Amino acid sequence: MSTPSHPRGPGEPASPGLVEHYFRHEYGRLVAVLVRRVGLHHLDAVEDAVQGALLAALTAWVANGIPHNPSAWLYQVAHNHLLGVLRKDQGHQQILEGAADQRADNGEEPVSPTFADEVRDELLRMLFVCCDEKIPQESRLVLALKTLCGFSTGEIAFRLFTTEANVYKRLARARDWLRQSEVDTQTPPLESLRSRLPSVHAVIYLLFNEGYLSTHAEHAIRAELCEEAIRLGTLLATHSVGAAPPTFALLALMHLHAARLASRQDATGGLLLLEEQDRSLWDAEHLSQGATWLARAAEGDVFTRFHAEAGIAAEHCFAPSFAETRWNEIAELYAMLECIDPSPIHTLNRAVAVAQWQGPQAGLTALDGMVPPAWLDGHYLWDAVLADLHHRAGNAATAERHRDQALAAAPSTAVRQLLRRRLNASRK
Amino acid sequence: MSKRKYLVLARSQRSGGRSGPSPEQMQQMFAAFNAWKEKFKDAILDIGAKLESEGRVVTASGVADGPFVEVKEVVGGFMIVSAETYDGAVEVVRAMPTAPGASFEIREMTAKM
Repeated sequence: MSTPSHPRGPGEPASPGLVEHYFRHEYGRLVAVLVRRVGLHHLDAVEDAVQGALLAALTAWVANGIPHNPSAWLYQVAHNHLLGVLRKDQGHQQILEGAADQRADNGEEPVSPTFADEVRDELLRMLFVCCDEKIPQESRLVLALKTLCGFSTGEIAFRLFTTEANVYKRLARARDWLRQSEVDTQTPPLESLRSRLPSVHAVIYLLFNEGYLSTHAEHAIRAELCEEAIRLGTLLATHSVGAAPPTFALLALMHLHAARLASRQDATGGLLLLEEQDRSLWDAEHLSQGATWLARAAEGDVFTRFHAEAGIAAEHCFAPSFAETRWNEIAELYAMLECIDPSPIHTLNRAVAVAQWQGPQAGLTALDGMVPPAWLDGHYLWDAVLADLHHRAGNAATAERHRDQALAAAPSTAVRQLLRRRLNASRK
Repeated sequence: MSKRKYLVLARSQRSGGRSGPSPEQMQQMFAAFNAWKEKFKDAILDIGAKLESEGRVVTASGVADGPFVEVKEVVGGFMIVSAETYDGAVEVVRAMPTAPGASFEIREMTAKM
């Protein structure tokens, strides 16, 4: 193994280049392991050190060849860098000594965790730390993307449709809390964080939806967030702290939705209706993973919202054709979802399923007496559904009004085109 | 003869070659899930049927902050709040420590329950 050259200083701008991006997962592993060594209070220094190690690898590996054990090499460089930074800070003398002792014990081999289980545990612990309910939820998501998925602030801003300044602000809020919190220099043991499982589920679900529901034109960009959510979910499901039916249901719903992701767009990037999608494009790997997790989720005495949503996704994925979709089952699952987690969006979805099952009038009846909240009233989906149902029920004037409102409120060109096609087609 | 150097970068892992369940097995898995689901259906829908159809949605800011609001909701199920009036229930929900962007729909439960 070649001797690691000294990494660059933290002040040097990190180029958000290809290698850095490809090393994202290595980044997450290194951050998690080093935080465990020196404590959460040094998260900033740890991230700088890991960043520096990855940049150093780029130079050194090209010049001297790939080291025998790349992960250990990265760990050692990051570790040395971190010690250098902490050494400058008198207040951290004890941490420094503790860390140096550990290093000395191991002689020439760096203190690199070599067991996959240990790395997995550190990553999971970091995930649970990011999901502290005292951190604002939007900050939790960004913190997870940064420390676990290894995205730069620029990459996160790009994927979440927000500014880099905003991402920075959210991160700062999370880090402020971590710094001020009573969490000791050592992160708490994983088992003691079990009560945060719902928050961990929520963050993974949010991450997936940011990818899945995004109107981002580029498929690859959206798929990436979905894949990250699935990666974290899988990590969770393989450890006793997270191996439970709700986690399995969450994984099932993510895989089953991801299976259809590619077919949701046509060759020009336009969105396609379910009816128009080419079922042969559905991803076989995701379908089989989805089915496997679905079967494992069907256990125990709790039917969660993830079970309902996985069930709905499965109805679509395992229907032989659009025409043979079991809309009665889907309507019922939406009704269950409404009861478990009341939301006007679920009511709206149920109305669509009911209309497919029993006709447009039944769909309208399902919405009867529903007063859409202010945010939904101005939302294109509400008007789009009403335009469609009223048109099919023969109420031309009402349909026309909702159609115009839906088109005016559409959030992107792709969505507007989809609506125009759907709503114009339905007036023939 | 000098050897060339290659940098190999790992991309997201897929199990690829591993053979998954057959289409028939997937249908069986789907059926197993549906059979399990049945035992919850009546109990869950029964609660829902007893809710009044009118409802209100409360968010931290009063108005939700984007088109994909359902995504931003807290995952957590439902709870029962006792209050004398709708506005009283709204106050209770507002006072709860929740994440920004969370929204709750409040419906009155009928006395028959």
